[in-house]
Amino acid sequence: MASNPFKHLPAIIGLDHSPEKYSYANTEEWGIIAKEKTADQWVRTTCGYCSVGCGMYIGVRDGKAVSVKGDPDHPVNYGKLCPKGLAEHHFLNATNRAKFPVLHGARVSWNEALNVMVQQFQGVQIKYGNDSLGVISTGQLVTEEFYTLGKLVQLGFNTRNYDGNTTLCMASAVSGYKRSFGSDGPPGAYEDMALADCIFLVGANIADNHPILTCWLQANENPNKHLIVADPRATKTAQMADTYLPLKPRSDVALLNGIMHLLIRNGSYNKEFIAAHTTGFEEFVRSLEPYTPESVSATTGLPVQILYKSASVIAQARALFVAWSMGVNHSDQGTETVNAINNLCLMTQSIGRPGASSFSITGQCNAMGSRESSCTSSLPAYRNYESAADRADMARLWNVDLAEIPDKRGFAYPDIIEAIMQGEIKALWVIATNPLVSYPNQKFLKDALSRLEFLVVQDCFHPTPTTELADLVLPASVWGEKEGTYTNSERRVSKANKAVSPPGEAMSDFDIFLEISRKLGVVEKIYPGWRTVADAFNEWRQVSKGRLCDYSGITYDLLEKVGGVQWPFKEGEDLSTAVNPRRLYGDGMFQHDDAKAKFFAVENKNMPEMPNGEYPFVLNTGRTVEHWHTMTKTANVEILQKLSPEAWVEMNPADAERLGLKQGENVRVESRRGSIEKIALRITEIIGVGQIFIPFHWFKTNANNLTINAFDPYSREPNYKQAAVKVERASQ
Amino acid sequence: MGGPSVLDLVKLPLTERIDLSGYYTPPAAEHIIPATSSAHADKKFVKSRLIPDRPLEEGEQYRFHFDATKCIGCECCVVACNEQNNNPADVTWRRVGEIEAGKFPDTKRLYLSMGCNHCLEPSCMSGCPTKAYSKDEKTGLVIHNADSCIGCQYCVWNCPYGVPQYNSERHVVTKCDMCSRRLAEGQVPACADACPEGAIEIEIVNKEEWRKDHRLADSPGMPEARQTISTTRITLPENVRSEGVAVSDYSVRPEHAHSSLVFFLCMTQLAVGGFISLWLTDLLSSAFSFFVLPRTALMPMAVGMFTAAALSLGTAVLHLGRPIMAWKALRNLRSSWLSREILLFSWFSVTAGAYAALFAADAFGVYSVSQTLRLLSGGIVAVSGIVAVLSSAFIYMVPARPSWFSPVTAYRFLATAFILGSAVVAWLMAIAGGQAGMLYFVTIAGAMVQLMILTRHLLHIASSDSSVARELRGTARLLTVNFRRIFSARVASLIAGGILLPAMVIILGPSLSPASQVAIGGFITLLLLFSEFAGRYLFFVTVVPKNMAGGFFHGK
Repeated sequence: MASNPFKHLPAIIGLDHSPEKYSYANTEEWGIIAKEKTADQWVRTTCGYCSVGCGMYIGVRDGKAVSVKGDPDHPVNYGKLCPKGLAEHHFLNATNRAKFPVLHGARVSWNEALNVMVQQFQGVQIKYGNDSLGVISTGQLVTEEFYTLGKLVQLGFNTRNYDGNTTLCMASAVSGYKRSFGSDGPPGAYEDMALADCIFLVGANIADNHPILTCWLQANENPNKHLIVADPRATKTAQMADTYLPLKPRSDVALLNGIMHLLIRNGSYNKEFIAAHTTGFEEFVRSLEPYTPESVSATTGLPVQILYKSASVIAQARALFVAWSMGVNHSDQGTETVNAINNLCLMTQSIGRPGASSFSITGQCNAMGSRESSCTSSLPAYRNYESAADRADMARLWNVDLAEIPDKRGFAYPDIIEAIMQGEIKALWVIATNPLVSYPNQKFLKDALSRLEFLVVQDCFHPTPTTELADLVLPASVWGEKEGTYTNSERRVSKANKAVSPPGEAMSDFDIFLEISRKLGVVEKIYPGWRTVADAFNEWRQVSKGRLCDYSGITYDLLEKVGGVQWPFKEGEDLSTAVNPRRLYGDGMFQHDDAKAKFFAVENKNMPEMPNGEYPFVLNTGRTVEHWHTMTKTANVEILQKLSPEAWVEMNPADAERLGLKQGENVRVESRRGSIEKIALRITEIIGVGQIFIPFHWFKTNANNLTINAFDPYSREPNYKQAAVKVERASQ
Repeated sequence: MGGPSVLDLVKLPLTERIDLSGYYTPPAAEHIIPATSSAHADKKFVKSRLIPDRPLEEGEQYRFHFDATKCIGCECCVVACNEQNNNPADVTWRRVGEIEAGKFPDTKRLYLSMGCNHCLEPSCMSGCPTKAYSKDEKTGLVIHNADSCIGCQYCVWNCPYGVPQYNSERHVVTKCDMCSRRLAEGQVPACADACPEGAIEIEIVNKEEWRKDHRLADSPGMPEARQTISTTRITLPENVRSEGVAVSDYSVRPEHAHSSLVFFLCMTQLAVGGFISLWLTDLLSSAFSFFVLPRTALMPMAVGMFTAAALSLGTAVLHLGRPIMAWKALRNLRSSWLSREILLFSWFSVTAGAYAALFAADAFGVYSVSQTLRLLSGGIVAVSGIVAVLSSAFIYMVPARPSWFSPVTAYRFLATAFILGSAVVAWLMAIAGGQAGMLYFVTIAGAMVQLMILTRHLLHIASSDSSVARELRGTARLLTVNFRRIFSARVASLIAGGILLPAMVIILGPSLSPASQVAIGGFITLLLLFSEFAGRYLFFVTVVPKNMAGGFFHGK
């Protein structure tokens, strides 16, 4: 095709300044917008980035996604979106979308791809046993797909070694909730942030990571509203605080215990509630004895006065809302830290009341759906592998032999990697995740992956650092190209809808799973009569019926009508109340067998790797508002790339002066496990002396070359937040 | 549950009582937690309307109010603006800057989200040669009309906030119009609509009152509002009004080289200086014997210099985004120095052309030109040329570009004219067998002026004095760090070609053979052409414009 050499001539000599492209049109829905952003059809959906779960519309014109708008009626965001959401349609048209199955670098048909996949997996399983196949999935799929995948892995491939990348982000919240309350499930609602008089954020930088949650803070009209932010880094969120607690890294348990120590001595605990609905209080109180203000001040680096003040704010709060995010979870003491937070909420009865909750702000758009339905860390709908009754339940619901229901959880994500290293797992299926950016200690991971006999990566982008290692790449459709539901941090289920067709031969993950089940010959057994995600959803509703996460009253029609419904919503409940905020445990009845919540005595533990003379800095990692996780999506959005073009390392001016480093110059960062050879230095008072911060999104300057593969004993979540590193001038 | 609790029966540790009540007192003594929030009831988070609820009255206009106490630096406004206006990523009408103050952990991070400030004295508008800008009579908004714009980017130089931005796809400049179309329909502008915190709103300002007191437009990270009387009202946290440093300040980025303008300026100045030198030689040869003017050389020299001037005028058109629309640049003689420059150089070309024609007529014997006429017309060309060069300089003397904003810019342009003109004419005279070595006194004087100006620039670098604008220190840093090699070569060639070699010719004078005079003259010309072109290149790349604060990567 010869292009017209004179095409650009009118523009070059100045006759044409593209007035049409830059003109505007009045739309009924959104008023005046750029003409090229107007649509034939606005498809209502839910954002596919984080777990806040904002409602939005995708504008479609001539079969292409041209625009997005916040849904003004959605009860999560009332029309607001974060910068990623505001430009979400752009990555749908990215040039590096996976379009065809690729086997060892060559395009193949779906038929061949899936034949090879099943043949390779089964070959490995015959040779080394069923559990020699590992599956690592994600928090990015729709709940229907998680549910479908769970059945496929457990009943189709018969391997237990299946986990999600959600273990890298909120597994400690799950474990902590399970230990304290007997079940996973954040008890509160976003609205609590707008009602509470004390909002206590522990290791949660919502301004960068969950910007739309700040709307709920802004909407708080309580005259006593007081925001306490505990974070070692003076984040954007810390700037919003009435009281900022710049605690030392890994001293959050000491801080929480210290506050609770003061509350006990002030008599600020609810005796009746504690007596009626909890166990373990006495031992817990005893464990607080050593956490005197003086000793806590020494551990946390916080002045005694500010501890008294924080405790006083909490003591006088009528509604205490404690929320946390990765600052707590990304720790090898994450689960116990969650228990400490739950202790605080239990002793003050800050559970199940308007404005009061222990609240995990989770990561991915459907991490919650994965937690509930995926059959990874628990059987679907928070059932326990260990419980005979729960297993019997599942066998009945699935109409299979009881023996087919696993009685024990398989390896968690890090243990799958370790098992690959040990030669126990020989084949791996990675779905919608990019461990070559996101897994701690990349050197170890790469070593492990190189030992696999067969690696399948199913993703909507190719190449990604991970698909480049794959023997087989399966092209999947992405947000905007498929239907299903996402469940957000406040347990609100919202509908994601298909606006456009996937590129090339890419298929929805749901369709891929169904195709694989056909190859395995189990389609009728595990997916009887299924055609669409609605079939999976209806079965899931029945599976969740009567459970804490009861979806049975939630239908697609209802979701389309009201925008989002918090579970539990039982079949037969009053539909007019569907959209109202719901809270768990308002009746004080918890999910442990005795229906009581548990207090835990928790001791503040040191981080797994302390800084020393050779590696004198504590490395903290995290996100920036413009990018999403491993950037497979946001690297394709030009405006986000422009706003946040590269990674940086934050260092306090005192440290920089000591090392003779200058603002903006390139430095090299090294840990015992690896290095970043060249990264821009930002000298800033955002970070304290002895610490540095690096955002983790970038492959080229991967913070996870440095992080340590140390894991929480309960949740198996990695300790991303602290590692010992050194910093020096980069070689030119 | 009444009566004694189970807990009363066990002996708990931590019995030593303390009283926390003295450490914090809630503002409201009695507050009942409501069952539900008004956010759900109203289906919105931001309660204010974000746009005025009444029409504008006489003497009023719209403006932005930005509340830095609410902004969390999420950049939603930037993304929403680009989506609203279909702009490519490298054109961002709204930008978010970052300011840092205080010491950890009492760090103050401040964000400034700014679109156009819709100034009362918009310098973009007064500088625009085509009258593409207007201040809307009804709304007071500064509106840019792409149809009229020729892409000269003079408004980009004039605005102290970096608001007008060149869209390389459209070949015109574009800017924020406060979503004027939406406003007219009672719709909230995209940035304000997208802001999760309600930090951006549109309000009404009384222009005369604001003209008297616009302190609320000032903020760390923003150029002083008084220059153009920015109307944006900025609400800052109490303790940050005076302190705070833009995180983009550490780095300065070289500006565009504008090679066609480098050529235009150097060549027009050469032509002007050349005509002056020619005229001087003509004038002085009748009085002093050390000036010998071969009449045969006059015609080719005058025609040559006229050609250089005309050619460079043509080249300047290439600088425009829309060259074919160049004629529009004469529209704003009332306030644009760019319009005036074009007019004055056109006039200079006419007089220079006429002057050259006179010599041509004389050379071809068509008409014998008297010396009086020659000197008179040469004087007119010289004066027109100097006025035109001055008009060039005035273009660059804009407050938004501190290293240009000084009479020094006029001196350096005139110095270029005298240096290049005298050296070229002296050399050509030598070739033609004349004697004009004494012109090198002019060269030396010009070179000395140029050197003094360069020294003055360098003094800024040693100064950590905050009274020296960061932009001037930035220029000094660019010269001595980023462009050190070119700068050294520029200085060395200026000293060699502008002082040492000309002094040698003057001193040795008649003892030099004609051939070596030609050779040395040629060498001087080459050195000085290099030096002045390099100098003009550095003039463009090392200017550090005023701008609002950027982010950390702004300067990288």
